[in-house]
Amino acid sequence: MFWTMPKSGQEISDAIISFDPITLERKPVLKSDVIAEFVSLNNQRAVRIIEKIPEREGVLEADAVDQLLITTHCEMQRISEEFQHGQRVAELLQPLLRALRSGGETSIRIVDIGCGTGFIVRWLSAQAMLGDDVEIIGADYNAALIKEAKRLAELEHLACSFVEANAFRLDHPAAIYISTGILHHFRGQELIELLKQHNRQETLAFVHFDFHPSPLAPIGSWLFHAVRMRQPLAKHDGVLSAIRAHKSRDLLEAAKVAAPEFISTIYGTQLWGLPIPRVFHALVGLRSAYRERFLQYMGSRIASLGKIE
Amino acid sequence: MIPLLLWILATTDAAFIGYREAAGRSALINKQAYYRRAMLRGILLGQVAVGIVGMALTVSLLLSPEPVVLVDKLQKAGSRMVLVYLPYALVILLAFVLRAVPSVDLRSITSVVIFGPFTFIRPMVVVAGVAWGFWVVPSLTTLLLGVLILTLMLAMEWLIGRLRTAKLIS
Repeated sequence: MFWTMPKSGQEISDAIISFDPITLERKPVLKSDVIAEFVSLNNQRAVRIIEKIPEREGVLEADAVDQLLITTHCEMQRISEEFQHGQRVAELLQPLLRALRSGGETSIRIVDIGCGTGFIVRWLSAQAMLGDDVEIIGADYNAALIKEAKRLAELEHLACSFVEANAFRLDHPAAIYISTGILHHFRGQELIELLKQHNRQETLAFVHFDFHPSPLAPIGSWLFHAVRMRQPLAKHDGVLSAIRAHKSRDLLEAAKVAAPEFISTIYGTQLWGLPIPRVFHALVGLRSAYRERFLQYMGSRIASLGKIE
Repeated sequence: MIPLLLWILATTDAAFIGYREAAGRSALINKQAYYRRAMLRGILLGQVAVGIVGMALTVSLLLSPEPVVLVDKLQKAGSRMVLVYLPYALVILLAFVLRAVPSVDLRSITSVVIFGPFTFIRPMVVVAGVAWGFWVVPSLTTLLLGVLILTLMLAMEWLIGRLRTAKLIS
């Protein structure tokens, strides 16, 4: 119920898994450390969830954690489907791609950062809405999630690929970086450092979707996770995500500091020109050379764009 | 008319139960066939539930010293149940009509405003319909029938889940 909603702290899915950011090597996570962390936050609900994860010699079992995360991503996909998130991403990428193409770009690579089981990448690929000149790649640190993404893509013969990698360290950088539900995992300087990584010549734009914070968002998120999710971890983290979501202003400020080579704006600040809370908003960054064409190709959806800075 | 309306409502509800139980378990992109199967499964199990209620009603009528009075009571209860369930179903239907418009925003709003909250209140609506229906015709028979209907309506999703856990469905 409402009163069991977590109020602060990190998400369980962040706490139960750890990778070396350079080598991507999986690091053991001590169950007692994770439990102690959530005890210190007085988050008994999280403690109960973590206590149920199998351990071996005090270390959370990697296979059990992976299976839990795969199941959780499957349930999260259900909510993304219900909220038409694939279509939402496509509607923003299409004018962006048109702008890049008209600026002379060919063979555009899109990389989804922290793609999980790759719902967006697979959805975009299945709909074939972006054009043959677009390569879509999903990147994630977690080998198990990438393996599952590959398996699902193969089952449906989808023309997309997935790599177990840091999205910003690929041999061929992306022209467009996208993500969903990633930004709120990065706080303060971490967010700046993440956004700084777009500052490379090859990168022309970025689109990062995350929950749109509003006074109603935590309760709305709680309700949806209560009726749509089965995994207690998914319910817990889903609500916490809405609570931790960055405000539009904070995202813009971070983008201005971290990626000054890009013009930035928020997509989804308004609905039909009105300040109605939405499920998702997106931080959009674009090289200024493409600004006018992008705005032109946005058509009626320009009403959802905030001030461009 | 009332039994027919209740049967239509029960069958529709069962189809959605089948859908809900299956949702979030397949991460494929194209899964229309998967959902069709799930809804059909719900409908079939719904018919089993309707059959169980039908048998219970028949037995009640056979054992009743005043079957005509009991039929009248059940009609009254059924009418009141329809008054609760039909508006609920019509709002859901309206949401589906709105969702037919190819707008991401409009479709999201139907979920935020209707599908999510109405799924949340469904158990309460189920209880309210049965309670309000059988409140006017209090007797041991109607109470037992009401409890049976409530149990079947509220337990079906759990039951399908158990079938899945036992790998009897996929």
